[in-house]
Amino acid sequence: MSRRPSRRIGGAAARSHHRHGRTGRAGKRHAHLGTARGLAGSRRHHLHRPPKLTVRQFVPTVLSPPMVDRLFWRAGFGPSAHDRATWTGRPVVDAVSWLLSAPAGLSGPSPTDNGSPLDPTGDDTDLVLSWIDRMVRASNPFVERLTFFWHRHWANSRDQVSPPQLMITQNGLFRSYADLGSNPRASFRDLAYAVTIDPSMLRYLTGELNVRGAPNENYARELMELFTLGVTNAAGHPNYSQQDVAQMAKALSGWQINDNDPNAAHSYFTQSLWYDGPKLVFGRFGNFTASDAVDLVISHPAHPGFIVRALWQEFINDPLDAPTLQRLTSTYTSSGHQIRPVLEQILLHPALFSSLDEPDMIKPPVVYVVGAIRAMGLGVTDTTASDYLDAMGQLPYYPPNVSGWEGGLSWLNTDTALARFGCIAALVGNQQIQDVRGESAPAAYDRAYAAVGSPWLASQTVAALQAFSQAVPSSDSQSRIERQIALRTLMLAGPDAQVM
Amino acid sequence: MNDRTQNEISALRCADCARSDSAVTDLAPTSLAAIPPEALAGFPDGVPRPPRGVSRRSFITGGAVGLAAIYSAAHLTWESIWDAAAAEAATPSGNILVCVYLNGGQDSLNAIVPVSGAQFSAYQSARANIARVLGPSGAGQVGTTVMPGTGGTLAFSNPLVSGTGNNGDTKGFDTLYGDGSGGAGADLAIFPAADYTPPDLSHFESRDYWFAGALEQLQTGWLGRWLDLYGSASNPLQAISLDTSLSKQIRSVTAPVCAIADLSSTAFQVSGTSIDATSEMQTLAEVPAGAGNVGLTRSRDTYGETVQVSNRLAGISAGAPASGYPANSDLSAKLQLAATLLGAGLGTRVITIDWGSFDTHGDQVASQDPQLAVLSSALAAFKADLKQRGLEQNVLTLVFSEFGRRIGSNDSRGTDHGAGGLVMVSGSSVLGGLAGEHPGVLVDDGEGNLVPITDYRTVYQALIAEWLGGDPNAVLPGGPFAGIARYDGQTRLLK
Repeated sequence: MSRRPSRRIGGAAARSHHRHGRTGRAGKRHAHLGTARGLAGSRRHHLHRPPKLTVRQFVPTVLSPPMVDRLFWRAGFGPSAHDRATWTGRPVVDAVSWLLSAPAGLSGPSPTDNGSPLDPTGDDTDLVLSWIDRMVRASNPFVERLTFFWHRHWANSRDQVSPPQLMITQNGLFRSYADLGSNPRASFRDLAYAVTIDPSMLRYLTGELNVRGAPNENYARELMELFTLGVTNAAGHPNYSQQDVAQMAKALSGWQINDNDPNAAHSYFTQSLWYDGPKLVFGRFGNFTASDAVDLVISHPAHPGFIVRALWQEFINDPLDAPTLQRLTSTYTSSGHQIRPVLEQILLHPALFSSLDEPDMIKPPVVYVVGAIRAMGLGVTDTTASDYLDAMGQLPYYPPNVSGWEGGLSWLNTDTALARFGCIAALVGNQQIQDVRGESAPAAYDRAYAAVGSPWLASQTVAALQAFSQAVPSSDSQSRIERQIALRTLMLAGPDAQVM
Repeated sequence: MNDRTQNEISALRCADCARSDSAVTDLAPTSLAAIPPEALAGFPDGVPRPPRGVSRRSFITGGAVGLAAIYSAAHLTWESIWDAAAAEAATPSGNILVCVYLNGGQDSLNAIVPVSGAQFSAYQSARANIARVLGPSGAGQVGTTVMPGTGGTLAFSNPLVSGTGNNGDTKGFDTLYGDGSGGAGADLAIFPAADYTPPDLSHFESRDYWFAGALEQLQTGWLGRWLDLYGSASNPLQAISLDTSLSKQIRSVTAPVCAIADLSSTAFQVSGTSIDATSEMQTLAEVPAGAGNVGLTRSRDTYGETVQVSNRLAGISAGAPASGYPANSDLSAKLQLAATLLGAGLGTRVITIDWGSFDTHGDQVASQDPQLAVLSSALAAFKADLKQRGLEQNVLTLVFSEFGRRIGSNDSRGTDHGAGGLVMVSGSSVLGGLAGEHPGVLVDDGEGNLVPITDYRTVYQALIAEWLGGDPNAVLPGGPFAGIARYDGQTRLLK
């Protein structure tokens, strides 16, 4: 009997009405004040071309089978048989280039919840499942991996954001900055500005309450502390002061949400609610707007290292050494804060392929579950994924707080190991398992292994599972099917399956 | 910031406050150990061996009631932990500190209210939309009950006070506080405005300061450093966070400490088969990982411990829960777990609890008051529970939050991040009463907050010097700090 956790989705969100909806104000007047000339220069990025790849940074040039697996786990949700056939023996740069340029797309049947189509705006479980489904069916998995990274980085929770359309809109925003095939010159600066005036963020961090006469420092603080700079720099000195927070809040004021029609919810700027007057931020003086505020943080010396580190840690387990940090920040800055060039260098870095014989990075729950669904050839047909992701501690659209999920080694403890195990057992239950009369133990092992996507298993693990296949009863149909269930569960829910 | 006026004080609503970052984030447990049921039976007669003639070997395979996540420089097995705990139990037990952290920045001013003349007028006008009234609650307004021994200047808000219409229980802060004289039955010390200066206003930074016992980012908690100096080198149960991960308060360098979320049983079974795959999982978990592969090692270790514990958990419960706690409360559950663990005599000196959601930027009365009522009756029930177990004289409970809140309320009927928070110490050894002065609301700290009259490290210093033992200056950087300055002129925390 598997331990299926109870659903938690819906309770808190249902309580969260449009508490602060200041809707209905007329006009979408945008300020064009242009007072922060020469701050970041980031909007001149179209003058730059992405830097060419440098050969010296990369050692192996052709993908071995373990390298294909590694690349597609770290930059996706695990390799499919098609990925392995396509990329083995091909140059690494080609595969990385494909991940960074193939546009978003979906393939396969539409998701259902026990036979019914999903209703993401009417049911919060379906909201979660609809994104899980996109990950499962993504033709270019990197788009959804990066979309999810942005969600982790600019963490907003449905617990505090209503109507749900705001979360969906924000998800689309993140995807447009992850679909690098469609948006090849996407810059972090533009993303940061778009998020700053994004309705979900305005609601979650109360930017909509930040108006002239009532400054609200919530977003200003997190913009610097969590999204772009960090509290302190590498030398341990503060990156900003309380005065910077207060003044930045004034620059960010005046943005509100119109969600009279939830399906057309949008933010708008009201000049009269904006602090029209001089502000002093980072020692610079000007009549700053929200756009200027974003330029100010992006041009802050601590920013490039901060964002480069965050991206590196998403994909690579090894620590980021100083020369590589220097090179990546230089790429980031010189490209005009573009996302793609720095990602290209990270995904091509030899450290991505370290410890190939024995993977060493713990799969985040979302990667683990989506990877398992893909590997087993399943789709989203029930609430298994959302139920167990909650128990594993990573329910999409519900980060624990504004700093997102902690991740790393903390993903695994005895509670979450049980949840991971229970999830795989439930998914195996969704597979159609036929009995094969007279199937030998090695054949049973091979069939089970293929049915779960031929995952990495240590040689000792393989030997142990083969011995297990030999040892268990197989004299009748029931016992042979049980052998299949047990083998598949052990392969995908055991300790080896937790690393990538 | 000095130009901020009353009108400008806004309705902040931090999304980050629902959950805490009070736990250690960059440190993983080094091992997980099952807690055998016999451990909770304690060590009768102080005999440093398992009770009832059970041999250590057989008792180790006899089941478990929970799991301790061990944080230790050295690898510890349950057997070694047992020996250490048994050795601790064989010696006279040390004084115990239970820390209850109120998550989110608890508003002191609507808990302990200045009720005399001009102070009360200023209080009412500063927070008209959430202010308490004098006397009994009624007509949608929450009343106050004057605190004895304060000359009529201060009052408990009624959710803290026992009785129907107040906290709904027969016990509460008023019964713990008694006459406030510090004599017998006056067992609750109250510091109405304890904090550090200048206030930072960030939840994250402020928590770190409180947990570290220092106005800087340290890798250790104040109690972790105390344990390093004066604690056991081998017993991780000496300090327990009642959570899935470790509180920063007890993060140490050398002293082993642990986290225990609960003592309920778990199951690790493969669905849909009659095959016992659990032992197979054990085999897979025992495959050695390559040197330096932290991720895979963590995975296999976690699976191994999980299987091991699952095998032992066969409907064993931690015993009948004590009565008197408020129902359906996480705080009750954690305090009951604390009492159960302390009752087992495992050499525990420190327990940390993280509870509540006190970041009341909006509709404060509706969210703070029910929590104050639970806090009040739960602390009273905990004290009674400990007394029942014969432990009460050995336990102090410290209650604190990361900061107090703004004197003036905002337009959302809430209060924003401020300074001068409520700190309390409960226990029959405590010199109950007003242990730090109330600064009043006629003056502020220049930022619209209560003047933090008591440095929070004054309280820590007294807890070390008078209760835990050891040299406060070796634990708290920047000391010595000002001593306790009670309302009645006494200078001690304890009786």
